[in-house]
Amino acid sequence: MDNQGFKGSSTYVLDEELAKIVNISMALEMPLLLKGEPGTGKTMLAHAVSETLGMDLIVLNVKSSMKLVEALYQYDTLTRLNDSRFGDSARDVATIGDYIKMGKIGQAFTAEQRCVLLIDEIDKADSDFQDDMLDVLDQMQFDIIETDEVISARTRPVIIITSNAKKDLSDPFLGRCNFHHIAFPEPAMMRQIVAAHFPDISDTLATGAIDLFYEMRSIEAIEKKPATRELINWLRALQADPDFRGGELLSREIPYLGVLFKKSDDYRKSLDFVHQKGRFRN
Amino acid sequence: MFVSFFYKLKQAGIPVSPTSFLTLHRAVDRGLVNSVDDFYVAARTVLVKSEKYFDRYDQVFSHQFHGTELPKQQDEELDFWAQAMLDEWLKNPKQAAAAMGIDEKDLQEMSIGELLDYFKERLRKQKGRHDGGSKWIGTGGTSPVGHSGYHPGGMRVGGQSRNKSAVQVAAERRYRAYGTDRPLTSDTIGEALKRLRNMVPRGAKDRLNIEESIYQTMKNGGEIEIVFDRAIVDRLKVILAIDNGGWSMDPYVALVQTLFSYAQAQFKDVRTYYFHNTIYDTLWEDPARYKKPVALNSLVHCDPDTRLIIVGDASMAPYELMVPDGSIYAFERSGSPSIERLRFLSELFSHSVWLNPVPDSHWRYTRTIGMINEIFSMFPLSLDGLEQAVKHLMRKYP
Repeated sequence: MDNQGFKGSSTYVLDEELAKIVNISMALEMPLLLKGEPGTGKTMLAHAVSETLGMDLIVLNVKSSMKLVEALYQYDTLTRLNDSRFGDSARDVATIGDYIKMGKIGQAFTAEQRCVLLIDEIDKADSDFQDDMLDVLDQMQFDIIETDEVISARTRPVIIITSNAKKDLSDPFLGRCNFHHIAFPEPAMMRQIVAAHFPDISDTLATGAIDLFYEMRSIEAIEKKPATRELINWLRALQADPDFRGGELLSREIPYLGVLFKKSDDYRKSLDFVHQKGRFRN
Repeated sequence: MFVSFFYKLKQAGIPVSPTSFLTLHRAVDRGLVNSVDDFYVAARTVLVKSEKYFDRYDQVFSHQFHGTELPKQQDEELDFWAQAMLDEWLKNPKQAAAAMGIDEKDLQEMSIGELLDYFKERLRKQKGRHDGGSKWIGTGGTSPVGHSGYHPGGMRVGGQSRNKSAVQVAAERRYRAYGTDRPLTSDTIGEALKRLRNMVPRGAKDRLNIEESIYQTMKNGGEIEIVFDRAIVDRLKVILAIDNGGWSMDPYVALVQTLFSYAQAQFKDVRTYYFHNTIYDTLWEDPARYKKPVALNSLVHCDPDTRLIIVGDASMAPYELMVPDGSIYAFERSGSPSIERLRFLSELFSHSVWLNPVPDSHWRYTRTIGMINEIFSMFPLSLDGLEQAVKHLMRKYP
């Protein structure tokens, strides 16, 4: 266990609370389950951890129809069938082991050095997937049925699991994880995040845009509130436009709303909001 | 160590497990926890597994380490409910002043916190019947007003607080809006919509997927593997009946409408009707309940598979429900009591629910809620309630 703590990285602004949580989970060698609105940087956190601690990052993107075995290893029967017919490969058809490929979890277990394993959006899969994964993460080992081989982790990877809360996770699963909910950042924090992404942005533009962003986030009853990702993209668009780069014009006109609001109803509501703001000014 | 804290969390209804408590001790033993701040974070991340309990954790924490009073859960709900109505009310201060019996000038000088306390006090004391039906709810006891955590400028949740001690942070109660047993607000509408998305019928698994079957058979080394898909079924039809009479419903009418207008695409047809307090022979297509009456009997032409969702506080004078000519509107009096008409509706639509913005812990204080609950399956208009209601509506055999 290295004593190097995690303190944030160049493009990821970390609040103190989360830093503590990451460090505790790493020390306890328990998976850390992160929940939160989309765009609060759940996935980014794993990237930042791997970057700062100099570990490799292995990402398992969970899909709805995924079976756990796919994440552990794959037995490539088709190639084996093919080889047995044509026999023109270096693999030995008689050795099943030659046709076993490690999945993402398998890769993390067999890695030479401690790595970061990100299991992204676990709630997409059904509860069987989560339950099956429990044992694997608990024991840090799994069997390859075809070869009757046990793969156990050489080093316990740092495991970060994210969930968008589409479905509730099962209690036994939660019991084996540490939990944190990432709240949406406050404006002051957002300013720092923006600064991390655009080191040379004009202050007028950044402050003006962030203020407007939070104002528009609080429009009544919008379905999909714009998140950090949308703000960053919006700022990118504003910066690319020579008229808005300075930021002064933003107080008179609000362009590129489509970058922030992606549902047509929300977009319409944001237009109403802009109109209303315009009326105040005149 | 911290055993009493552990049990207080458990008492407060947070599902904490002994295993995780031991894990917490492991963290303490390893020297990972060096201050109260560390403990606040470590205990929460290890013990509490859902953000919906964060608020309660904050309360217990500040109670344990700072001696703040633990608000009673019921008071809490009253808090929330009162606040929602008050917000709506304050759009028209004159009416609010008159209703609460305060001078408008005094009203302006009161802070929202004071107003809320006063308002709750009124709610508690109100024993008689308000004109036009018993719109006041009864309350559980006479416990003193718990501290009200009003956040100016609407709800603010989460966020970070630097340079503050854990006790202060906990007392801020940043996670208040994450509770899923609270009445719906426009902040939680996105979450509510996610619950509603489950209202999709699933066909039988009886369509052969040839491509996939061939692939799986090959993968199986030639052993036949047959893969079936679900049949495609038509989207659902929904009838939404909203009680839009009376101020107790005001905060929720627009909310429910917004919710279903967002969800419109997933349904084949959403029809919205209005009523006041309870349903007699007509529902109304216009919110003013004046221009476009729809005879209740005409609903027999609807597809019986239509899902009927009624939203109302179900709180009224018992005679409005039970007496043949109970309606407070003369022209609605037809001879059969409302309760019969409700029964008729529930027999007509085998999939139906009643959503009630009144928190379910208060239901037993209002007689009519109990009576209607016997006819319709009633769920509170909260995220949890909505989830259960959707489950109920999607049952295969009602």
